[in-house]
Amino acid sequence: MSVLVAVTDSPEGIHSLSAAADEAALLGTDLIAVNLTLGKLDLSVLPEDCKVTVVEREGREDRDPVAAVLDELEVFPDVTRLVIGIRKRSRVGKALLGSVSQRLLLTSPVSVLAVKAP
Amino acid sequence: MRSQEHSFGRTQDWIEMTRSDGSTGAVLPPDTAGTHSHRLGIIAVIATFGGLLFGYDTGVINGALEPLKEDLGLSTFTEGFVVSILIFGAAIGALVGGRLSDKFGRRHNILLLAIVFMVGTLGCVLAPTWEVLALFRFILGLAVGGASATVPVYLSEISPAERRGSVVTRNEVMIVSGQFAAFIINAIIFNVWGEHDSVWRFMLLVAVAPAIVLFVGMLRMPESPRWLVLQGRDDEALEVLKQVRSPERAEAEMAEVHRLAEEEKLSKTGGATDLSVRWIRRLIYIGVGLGVFQQFTGINSVMYYGTQLLGDAGFSANAAIVANILNGLFSVLGISVGLYLMNKVDRRKMLLGGFALTTTFHLLVGLSALLLPDGTVKAYFILVFVVLFVFCMQGTIGPLVWLMLAEIFPLKIRSFAIGVCVFALWIANAAVALLFPPVVDALGIAPTFFIFVVLGLLALVFIYTQVPETRGQSLEELEDRFRKEYS
Repeated sequence: MSVLVAVTDSPEGIHSLSAAADEAALLGTDLIAVNLTLGKLDLSVLPEDCKVTVVEREGREDRDPVAAVLDELEVFPDVTRLVIGIRKRSRVGKALLGSVSQRLLLTSPVSVLAVKAP
Repeated sequence: MRSQEHSFGRTQDWIEMTRSDGSTGAVLPPDTAGTHSHRLGIIAVIATFGGLLFGYDTGVINGALEPLKEDLGLSTFTEGFVVSILIFGAAIGALVGGRLSDKFGRRHNILLLAIVFMVGTLGCVLAPTWEVLALFRFILGLAVGGASATVPVYLSEISPAERRGSVVTRNEVMIVSGQFAAFIINAIIFNVWGEHDSVWRFMLLVAVAPAIVLFVGMLRMPESPRWLVLQGRDDEALEVLKQVRSPERAEAEMAEVHRLAEEEKLSKTGGATDLSVRWIRRLIYIGVGLGVFQQFTGINSVMYYGTQLLGDAGFSANAAIVANILNGLFSVLGISVGLYLMNKVDRRKMLLGGFALTTTFHLLVGLSALLLPDGTVKAYFILVFVVLFVFCMQGTIGPLVWLMLAEIFPLKIRSFAIGVCVFALWIANAAVALLFPPVVDALGIAPTFFIFVVLGLLALVFIYTQVPETRGQSLEELEDRFRKEYS
């Protein structure tokens, strides 16, 4: 029954972390945060009582963030919700750099909550 | 290529390791002298033959080019093509070589490189036409690129932490020494047998000797312990460590080797998808810019075409090839000064100062070519300014760019980022090598060097506005700073 959030290095990524904490509180379950950034996750945005497990990307197998997240969904089979942050992308932007969120939305085996940064 | 390794401090003879992120690591017993240190010395010498070959094969064309041009009937374009195709090969070799050495091992890779060096060299020596020569120069280029990616890695992985810096430094000096050696040997061969059409074949043939030494030597060398650990072959890793460290040190170092192997694995995490993050993109632009502007100083034009340049300046063929030796000599001297200054001067100051000096000498070469009457005086003025340019370049910009590339990127994207920057650097190198002869032929020395002056001014603007100061700051500090500033 856990909630898994894919945290990207962006405003919507940071927002998705707190949104995922809210979702986990709503469902009464715990939170797993997959760190897709290249540094350390800032967990100060989370409420004090939130139980979170942070998973890091490590090594060449995790080079594709989407593959990394899908691998984690297999490792944690009781995840029922995937949370991702989204923003409006231009067509060129989407074509050139792809969209992690878009691919996750379409390939995720569990329901997806897509949140926009305020 | 350099890798950023951690520093160490001595506490009562034991070596205390400081990690690259600033935290304290294991404390290791000192590596006392013994039969293993002798073996380690031999390993370092043999492996640096890789760097020597790199230098020799890139430098040997300088001096061989004139007789080669006559013998095979090259135009200025085909001349540039034959020279630069090795560099294009190196760009690919660097990419492929890195992956191969991760898959099959460093030692295996170096052995393979030695064979490719031999095949490439013999192919060049026996080439009947310039097309065949170009093909084998490309093959040689693959080996040069592969060596640039594998040899420094092997050296840093097999050396104990307290010697790592000096061993990797020695490799960089070996590269320029290889070029210097090529210049000297070419000058001797030319002045003794210059009247033969095929003299250039003998010049190129000399390079096969160090390749054989490298191959035979590496046969008896152990694999890198860090790579063995990455393959899960811990027992073999410990055996190798016992060959090259004192017994107590070997056991203790295993944990350190594991940690460094883990770090290396992490450095390969990031890839193309991470370019969507603005501050990462910005860092890569800076890295690519540094590499490209380093090559746009034209340092390698002098290293590849020095003899011809001096010939155009006014020296006779015999005198030019001897005068060119000074380029090699001051390259070695320059890099020795540069390595000494490296951590004593702020990076930005050193880069700005370096580019200011090289641009000034470019200007002086151009002015001498333009204003002085043809003759020995003009030739000597140009020689002096070119030599001083080489010295300043190798004393500042040369080593500093490699150092900064190793420093600015966060650990997780380092492998990918450095790969991109190094590729761009080789391509810029090849582009300058390709264009130099036709441009000098079409415009003359003076306008060509005025073009370098303009590029140098652009470089100064780039460095002043874009390049951050990195000296004395830990990785964590840099990462936080870049994330804030460049987002």
